[in-house]
Amino acid sequence: MAQERALDLVGRLTMGQLVRINRATWDIEPWLAESWTRSTDGLQYTLKLRPNVTFSDGHPFTADDVVFSFEALYDEKTSSPISETVRVGGKPLRVDASGPLTVVVTFPSPFGPGLRLLDNVWILPKHRLAAALKQGTFARAWGLNTPPEELAGLGPFVLEKFEPGQRLSFVRNPHYWRTTADGKRLPSLDRVILEVVPEQDAETLRLQSGQSDLIATELRTSDYAPLKRLADAGQISLVDVGDGYDADSFWMNLKPGVFGGDPRASWIQKDELRRAISMAVDRELFLNTVYLGAGAPVFGPITAANKKWYASGVPHEAHDPAGARQLLASIGLVDRNGDGMLEDARNHPARFTLLTQKGRSDRERAVAVIRDQLKTIGLTVDVVMLDFLEVVKRIYSGNYEAIYLGAPATDVDPASNLDFWLSSGAQHFWNPSQKTPATEWERRIDDLMAKQIATTDDSTRRDLFDEIQRIFAEHQPAVYFAAPHVFVATSSRVTHITPSLIPPQVLWAADTIQVR
Amino acid sequence: MAVYLTRRLVFAVLLIFIVSSASLVLTRLAPGDFAMVTLGVDARPELLEQTRARYGLDRSIAAQYRDWLSHAVRLDFGQSMQHGVPVAGLVAGAAANTAILAVTALSAATLIGLPLGIIAGSKGGTAASHAIRAISIVALSTPSLLTSLILLVVAARTGWFPVGDMRSAGVSTTTDLLWHLVLPATALALPIAAMFERLQAQAMSEAIAQPFVLAAVGRGVPRSRVVWRGALKAALRPTMAIYGLVIGALLSGSFAVEAVTSWPGLGQLMLNALRARDIYLVAGCAAAGSMFLAVGTLLSDVALAVVDPRARE
Amino acid sequence: MRASKVGLVLLACAVAGAAAAPMVAPHTPDQQYRALLDAPPTVPHVIDDDGAWHAPFIHPWVLANRLEQTFNQDRSTRVPLAWFSGGTLVRSTDDERAPLMLLGTDSFGRDVFSRLLYGARTSLGLAALAALAALAIGAVVGGIAGYAGGIVDDVLMRASEFVLVLPAIYVVLALRAVLPLVLSATQVFLLLVIIFGVVGAPLVARGVRGIVRSERGLEYAIAARSLGASHSRLLLRHLLPATSGFLVVQCTLLVPAFIVAEATLSYVGLGFPDPIASWGQMLHDASNVRALADFPWLLSPAVAIFVVVLALNLLLQDRRAAARYTGPM
Repeated sequence: MAQERALDLVGRLTMGQLVRINRATWDIEPWLAESWTRSTDGLQYTLKLRPNVTFSDGHPFTADDVVFSFEALYDEKTSSPISETVRVGGKPLRVDASGPLTVVVTFPSPFGPGLRLLDNVWILPKHRLAAALKQGTFARAWGLNTPPEELAGLGPFVLEKFEPGQRLSFVRNPHYWRTTADGKRLPSLDRVILEVVPEQDAETLRLQSGQSDLIATELRTSDYAPLKRLADAGQISLVDVGDGYDADSFWMNLKPGVFGGDPRASWIQKDELRRAISMAVDRELFLNTVYLGAGAPVFGPITAANKKWYASGVPHEAHDPAGARQLLASIGLVDRNGDGMLEDARNHPARFTLLTQKGRSDRERAVAVIRDQLKTIGLTVDVVMLDFLEVVKRIYSGNYEAIYLGAPATDVDPASNLDFWLSSGAQHFWNPSQKTPATEWERRIDDLMAKQIATTDDSTRRDLFDEIQRIFAEHQPAVYFAAPHVFVATSSRVTHITPSLIPPQVLWAADTIQVR
Repeated sequence: MAVYLTRRLVFAVLLIFIVSSASLVLTRLAPGDFAMVTLGVDARPELLEQTRARYGLDRSIAAQYRDWLSHAVRLDFGQSMQHGVPVAGLVAGAAANTAILAVTALSAATLIGLPLGIIAGSKGGTAASHAIRAISIVALSTPSLLTSLILLVVAARTGWFPVGDMRSAGVSTTTDLLWHLVLPATALALPIAAMFERLQAQAMSEAIAQPFVLAAVGRGVPRSRVVWRGALKAALRPTMAIYGLVIGALLSGSFAVEAVTSWPGLGQLMLNALRARDIYLVAGCAAAGSMFLAVGTLLSDVALAVVDPRARE
Repeated sequence: MRASKVGLVLLACAVAGAAAAPMVAPHTPDQQYRALLDAPPTVPHVIDDDGAWHAPFIHPWVLANRLEQTFNQDRSTRVPLAWFSGGTLVRSTDDERAPLMLLGTDSFGRDVFSRLLYGARTSLGLAALAALAALAIGAVVGGIAGYAGGIVDDVLMRASEFVLVLPAIYVVLALRAVLPLVLSATQVFLLLVIIFGVVGAPLVARGVRGIVRSERGLEYAIAARSLGASHSRLLLRHLLPATSGFLVVQCTLLVPAFIVAEATLSYVGLGFPDPIASWGQMLHDASNVRALADFPWLLSPAVAIFVVVLALNLLLQDRRAAARYTGPM
């Protein structure tokens, strides 16, 4: 496991939520909330909490803890990363207890995804943290350095020992509420140890030697072949989970005015340029070079693997270099001096810089393919590989021309990714945090997205989202090429895993894992 | 002597102070900050600002530096942003782990490199000296990243040694520690041993060629005694001169070795701190590193003075 | 002396290979063969499977499984080699189906042998210049420190310790942000020479200082001073040459270190841009378990580095010590 994942995994293993999104089927499952009903206006959910559930320290779990958790979440001094996401239209949810085991969640306006939003919210023990919240020290109350005896959660495991930078040890939570279908107490495992291993190669070697049972980091394409050999020899188990949802994307800086006096400003932000780029790159070739053929070509942010939300009817342009050249000619980029490369109307070469992070071999290979393919239609691309944080800084400050990068999704439902779709969002990479939509099509997407979130009728939501994907394909603010196949590897003594396409691929369902 | 030592001590403290200050400032100047690292590519600007304020990253570099300095002189080196624990504890723990590794590697390198160098230098032209030279150069040309990886693969395939880490989970015996120590210490020691060997061989072959050696042999003194008594002392000079600085080379060599073998030492801590822009931790690690070096150079100067009285102050 | 001749010959071959890369290398360093990623070397044969003799030929590699990157050799086809054609020394007659890959290909499908030759220009050039710079700076600083002694010595040594202990990576990370985004290969080259020269100097300076300090107390030095030799003459003519053995060894240490360090610095954005070949980056890309187990030809830069460093060492370190002893005799 890499160091950065530590906090997230601790939460997942030791905490519980009201409802859980099953990461294999993507449906909501009752979790700490046993059942719920929805009011006719769709704004209120009444959840019945599971009875006889206690925290890992034995203290009973009641509706008060739920109310407290939301209070803490929205408290300004907490500055929780999800305090903005667990809102509808910017307004928080209202959570009241209408009985010791009944909670009423009121949405400020109709919200299509409904209770899916609550998958993010860990339920915290009021008896342990109420004082901190009152004093305003909540943010610092629990951290990785809190003595384990003071922590209490509703998850399958309890943190036993924390060695910073080295390992995290968990033991089973004897008070965990869940049991298997035939009544056996969960979790099946007695102890889980997560070790911080900085080099991914070392993780693979440990799996091979039997020193570890699971690789928590996503496997790279180059890891497949040696692991397959080990799996064929029966030493490990390799599971094929399927084509991934996420593809890295290529986008250009579309902030108005950012190119200022640059002579290329007349064409560099035009839709035709990006569409030409999309047509120029042979996605088969891209897939074969970058992911060794293991994956699927993709043309937009939603991939075919996302069966529920993928709009299969959206047209996309096939690999067509001649067509790409025509598109570029239509915005004035023509080879004016016979050297094979394009120039604009004032004879400036059609050239731009493409940034990506150094250290990820798939991204490095990808930008090399993009550069070479664009060369065949006359565009010159200068690839610069930088430290990851420098790239991120340039995204925020808008100081770049083109970038190739990606951010993994957390849920298939597009409503979980509002920051990407809405022009006012921080993840709207090509032009983030706009005060008003800069283009007509972005405004249309904003409207459609707002409608899409507000209806609770699934088929309406899908139709609206199909339209959004159509608009996206027409203007291509970001160009997508291929999504890699996802594999998961465990030692042969691990059984009963439920692999997911989205990380943490195995540990999201840690309570049902067993070992022989 | 006391004056000399005091002067060196003062300089050492000054060095530690300057290096940690420089590291802090440089990390602040580097693109990105801890807020960006924890919240990721997709964070909202307001949240970023809030987090920055929480860690004091919204202040100017000068203000933050002044604040750090005022605490540092009282030996309060701040808290690590990544781990939430005081820097001093983290650094001390990691430094101790690196010290174990470094001392072992250094001893191994000395015990192997010096004698081999002496043999190679005094018996120049023989098969033995050529073989030793070739092995040294292999060790010098292979980056420690590659060496550690090769050793790890061997460990994984044969099962003779654990694949990385410092201890097995829940075990705290010395035997377990030693068992885990073999791999990283070997990877770290190889290039250092080769460096010693080459330096020693050169110095030895020069010393052997000195007239006094010829004279002594002419007088009937057995050659081996001349080699081991007279020439050796002269030949140890250049090696002792840089012995302390080798500690600096050890520290930078340990970055790669510790990363690949997941040895929880200073190198790994420093790299992760830099990656996460955890400035106080970066400053603390740099301070520890310069402390290593200061001790090393002092030892080396003492060793040089012992070996070569002409060089005494 | 024979050993040093061997060293000279080896070094000359390496330099010649690097200089003549465009003619000796069968391919350009950026030529990609998309169907042959991480393909094994095509070994030239003269005898075919039936025992018959032919002009040198190769068997093509055919992709068996793309994901597992396995290849089958088509031993039924013989592709003869063409000599002195197309501007290169030797190449395959059928470049599209069966290119000549003496050391296999890398993960982009580029010929490792060609990249090795072109990479020699980059890496050897960089390492040589940087080593010279480090040796020069170190010798000057160490010489002055050892000769003058006292406070000058202290200040210079502490300054060099500061340079030694401050990780170069901090400086480069901060530096990269203020440099222009797109750096040409020449600019990167010059920057690296400067950075490596500065970073490599302290170790050299320290050793030189130690030797100079000892030597200045020797009879011949005192005699020379009493005869009226100026400081600089003494330093340059007598004391510094005594450090030549040490400097030679340092050269042997610095060259491989710099070749490898270029790859490390490329992680913070200050390396040679793709597709320029450099031994350091080639070796770094090959430093993973997969390559060690399945694509060992990718590690050929390590062998190349070994050969060059050995050659250097043989050439420089074998000079009879007596020959440079410049005492009063």
